[in-house]
Amino acid sequence: MIQLEKVSKLYGTVVGANDLTVELGPGAYGVVGPNGSGKTTLINLLTGQLRPTIGKVTVFSQDPWRNRKLLRRIGLCPATDVLYPNVSAYEWVTYQVRLHGLSPADSKQLATESLAQVQMTDNMHRPMGEYSLGMRQRTKIAQALAHRPELLILDEPYNGLDPVGRHDMTQLLIKLGEQGTSLLFASHVLHEIEEITSSFLLIHGGRLLASGTAREVEQIIADIPQEVILIGPDVPRLIPYLADQAWVDSIQLLAERTELRIGLRDPSNLYQSVADWISKDQLQIDQFQTANSNLAAVFESLLRHHRGESK
Amino acid sequence: MNPLLVIDVVRFEIRRSLSPGRVAIWSILVLFPIALMTAVRLLGNQTSESEEAWGMALYFLVPEVVCLLGLLLWATPAVSTEVEGQTWIYLAMRQSGRNLVLVGKYLTAVLWSCSAAFVATTVCTIIMGSAGGIWLWCVICILSLLSCLAHAALYVLIGTVFFRRTMVTAVFYTLVVEYVLAFVPAMANRLTINYRLRGLLADWMDWSTARTVTETIGGQESAWVHIVVLLATSVALLSLSILRLTWTELPTQQEG
Repeated sequence: MIQLEKVSKLYGTVVGANDLTVELGPGAYGVVGPNGSGKTTLINLLTGQLRPTIGKVTVFSQDPWRNRKLLRRIGLCPATDVLYPNVSAYEWVTYQVRLHGLSPADSKQLATESLAQVQMTDNMHRPMGEYSLGMRQRTKIAQALAHRPELLILDEPYNGLDPVGRHDMTQLLIKLGEQGTSLLFASHVLHEIEEITSSFLLIHGGRLLASGTAREVEQIIADIPQEVILIGPDVPRLIPYLADQAWVDSIQLLAERTELRIGLRDPSNLYQSVADWISKDQLQIDQFQTANSNLAAVFESLLRHHRGESK
Repeated sequence: MNPLLVIDVVRFEIRRSLSPGRVAIWSILVLFPIALMTAVRLLGNQTSESEEAWGMALYFLVPEVVCLLGLLLWATPAVSTEVEGQTWIYLAMRQSGRNLVLVGKYLTAVLWSCSAAFVATTVCTIIMGSAGGIWLWCVICILSLLSCLAHAALYVLIGTVFFRRTMVTAVFYTLVVEYVLAFVPAMANRLTINYRLRGLLADWMDWSTARTVTETIGGQESAWVHIVVLLATSVALLSLSILRLTWTELPTQQEG
């Protein structure tokens, strides 16, 4: 379905995508990366909005930059908001479908159906200027779905949705996936994607750092150095234990000897041992922080791994 | 390009742009020449009924000022407002979105400006009384239409080439080329739209002063030459805009 061969995209001297090579068959995929990681550049390359500086992009075996008819088979829900205050969702979605060349009657029918799918039927004739952020988000998703695309690309689709809206949207996307619509779902929040798909592309700094199932990605993350922070008055007493461990790379004692930063390769070893040590010596440890629970930090670790710096 | 689709784009554009702000600007454009003509009629020499003087004033106020101001406001930012509003991506994701939307927005800008020009011309012609007349009304309306078609294509092209600082570029171009260069007695003025419009005015109205000025500044081309050049210019500029927009990577949103 999607093929990228050594694709790079430069904005002047800024690298938007860096040597991306990936092949994806039909199915659901999550594109995960921190803000500014290149997710939108990837989406723009796939939808023919950008031309790769180097490399080749094909979607459904065609070049999206040269073949705009391909867009009939793709639906995109961009991250940006819609600001047509005096137009209703029904008018706008109908117009969007009509721009694909469908007849007026079909456009109206498809717009009505897709707005119903996102539970906007009751409000679809109100001006969009009166909508909440969540309602505008639903309307955006409706315009992406309306022309029945084979590939649905969603860029941060949960922005602005309340928990009920998120749940409804998740169910809708799962249902679409089951019906055979391929999904490419970009987000910087991993768990949002995990509910929809177990296949991920991890992207950062324009590079594809890892791809595969959640388990495979977890394994990659587990294999690279990560940092754990322990805070409490007794943290210096853990140093003798840690110093003996082969899986510990570095130990730093900070903040007047109350903060211990541990660089390690496999945190699971620490998780297994630290409780025993604390219990055995009756240590007072107030906090246990995994710095890498922050997605950006995980990506920094992966990037170092990708560059071969952590080997 | 499916003409029915273009009509639907125009309909949508009119629907979305029909705001109190837009109607207020349209009203100002209509009232501006009417107010000036009324002031001249009330305060000026009541006995002066020179059709040429009144007609030249009406020509300058409507096809050269009202039309250009309207188009500067509505044709120039056709693409840049979508880019700045980050809504361009929704249109660009449609099979024929780029081309259809550009042509639709062009026609919408022409409709808004022409309607203001026609209403202003009609009221001004009534104010002018015996100095006006149906022929002058027809000529000014046709010149307004040609002005709108050509200038809108020009401004849309400027908007697709300079989608940042679009308005500044268009105003600069208008002042330097359409108002100054058009009066320079050299070959270069034949490249301007206003030169053609002035040539048509002189040709159709057969005013002695206007004809003398036109022949001094330019040549003695027939009305048909001017019309063909204006229409060809409109088509060429619009085609260039479509070509430019088709193969341009416009910013879609903040990079994520």
